[in-house]
Amino acid sequence: MTPQLILGAGLVSAIALSAALEPWHQSWAGSRTGSANILQVALGDARKLFAKQFFVQADVYLHAGFYPSMFDNKTDDESPRVSALNGGSPPASDGEHQEHDDLPDFLGKPKDWIDAFGRSFFPTKHLHVGDKPAAEEHHEGDGHDHAEDDPSAEGDNGAAREILPWLRVSATLDPEQPQTYLVAAYWLRKQLNKPEEAERFLREGLQSNPGHEEILFELGAIAAEHRHDLERARNLWELALKNWHAHQAGQPETNLLSGAQILGRLAKLEEQQGRRDRALVHLRELVTISPSKAAIQQWITELEAKPSAGK
Amino acid sequence: MNPTQALPSFNGLPGNIAPLPVASAPPAQAQGVFDALRNAQAIAGVVILELYRRKDFYVLFVLTALVTLVLGSVNFFGEAKVARYLKEVCLFLIWVSSLVIAITTTARQIPAERESRTLFPLLAKPVTRNQLLLGKFLGCWEAVGVALLVFYIFFGVISGTREHAWPLANYFQAATLHWGMLGIVVAMTLAGSVVFAAPSSTNTIVFVVTAGILLLGRHLNKVALQMNEPLQTVVYAVYFALPHLELFDVRDLIIHNWPPIPWLIWCGALGYALVYATIFLALACLLFRRKAVN
Repeated sequence: MTPQLILGAGLVSAIALSAALEPWHQSWAGSRTGSANILQVALGDARKLFAKQFFVQADVYLHAGFYPSMFDNKTDDESPRVSALNGGSPPASDGEHQEHDDLPDFLGKPKDWIDAFGRSFFPTKHLHVGDKPAAEEHHEGDGHDHAEDDPSAEGDNGAAREILPWLRVSATLDPEQPQTYLVAAYWLRKQLNKPEEAERFLREGLQSNPGHEEILFELGAIAAEHRHDLERARNLWELALKNWHAHQAGQPETNLLSGAQILGRLAKLEEQQGRRDRALVHLRELVTISPSKAAIQQWITELEAKPSAGK
Repeated sequence: MNPTQALPSFNGLPGNIAPLPVASAPPAQAQGVFDALRNAQAIAGVVILELYRRKDFYVLFVLTALVTLVLGSVNFFGEAKVARYLKEVCLFLIWVSSLVIAITTTARQIPAERESRTLFPLLAKPVTRNQLLLGKFLGCWEAVGVALLVFYIFFGVISGTREHAWPLANYFQAATLHWGMLGIVVAMTLAGSVVFAAPSSTNTIVFVVTAGILLLGRHLNKVALQMNEPLQTVVYAVYFALPHLELFDVRDLIIHNWPPIPWLIWCGALGYALVYATIFLALACLLFRRKAVN
């Protein structure tokens, strides 16, 4: 009788435990069953790792395959390689393609004859999408020589499109990574002249990252530069500034660059529209966070000297 | 080689199926080489026919084509000309498929002949053991060559329709280097199939070794330099000794539209493949000569 009793007791315990755990599991924040996203259910948080990998893959494409592996010399932190996608900094609002040194000559001199011979079979020259590799270049192994960008060439603008699939996949896997939307939007509107697609993608990003100030800022840039709707741009930037203030409040590390970009663009917009007082308000805040304080101070002085035309 | 000279190597054969001496007069050396090649090519023809009849290639090709076409139909931000991701996926599938075809086809050759007992009449033709192995090698290598040709034509068509460019020299180099690399893999698998009892163990070991070399071969010297002696010397010796299959992987150059490799370098790589394929084939012959086939 004892085995039957033990079996019965085990069965009763199992049912009781499942009755107790089921409601808890339903309301547990970490449960995957509540998600309608099949990737979320299948991969869980591991999808974020894949998303990062695909984001890096976009950077590999940006450099035409010339990219360090985990065995090559690394930079002192992880982010510079990834941020190389936008020139080592968040997307520049003025559209300048910044010269950067995001990928130093990580290969170095060949260590042996196999190493030297093997360099003929993979990209060994630092290029960016749109740069045209010369016939004798990829096997030289001497590394870091930027070819001149030629934006007028048909192939140049076209080459930028090659990074987009990886960014799309990365955003699908990890929609809560705003940098993916920002980088894709930058290339879409600056290189491919597709502001509509950029705006659509940014709005998608805004749904996953509600009120994110950098996404709002980029949407404002599209409104100002492509739609020429300055009122809308101002509203978006002011909302971005408000959210930036709110986000900075409890943060140990502040994203000053983002705040400086928003304030700078707002001040410029207000100045263009003759609203000197509002421009001065933004500039006085900007001078407290900008690294180029002297230039901002001079801008303030010049603006103060001008007669006020607006309210 | 005169078939009768191979008699001492038939120690493993039962006496009643030892090859008969050739009735005619001993042929000249050139005639011997010609006969050996003819025998090997006849065996190779059977292997090619086998690949043609089996479903492996068709299944892998259809899968590759299907995955590539489905991915090609995806629209990314309304950009119809995005091509590089498609080239990357297609080339990856081609590499995986070709390795699967090469390794699985080669690994089953000798064990299948032995199990079905067709090895004995084959060796009694007379065909020497070396000729048999050479024939098996040629057959498997030629068979994967035919498969590669079909794969690369498909890749070229897909890539060309997207990019409206036909860098035929690049594709030719990529395909020939790929084929050269598969020559080493086929010879290595053949040597493995003589050593290991079952094709499954040969498959697994060769797959692991090949994947390991492709992933780590290029970086083994960097790893070695970070080690202390005597481990550094050991790892560096392994680095120099192993066949660097990754040399033949020019996918990144193809994907990112780099110019062709200098032809002298290309010839050097094919020579490197030939040397290693010969070494593995000689090793296979040596092992097979000492192996009892019954």
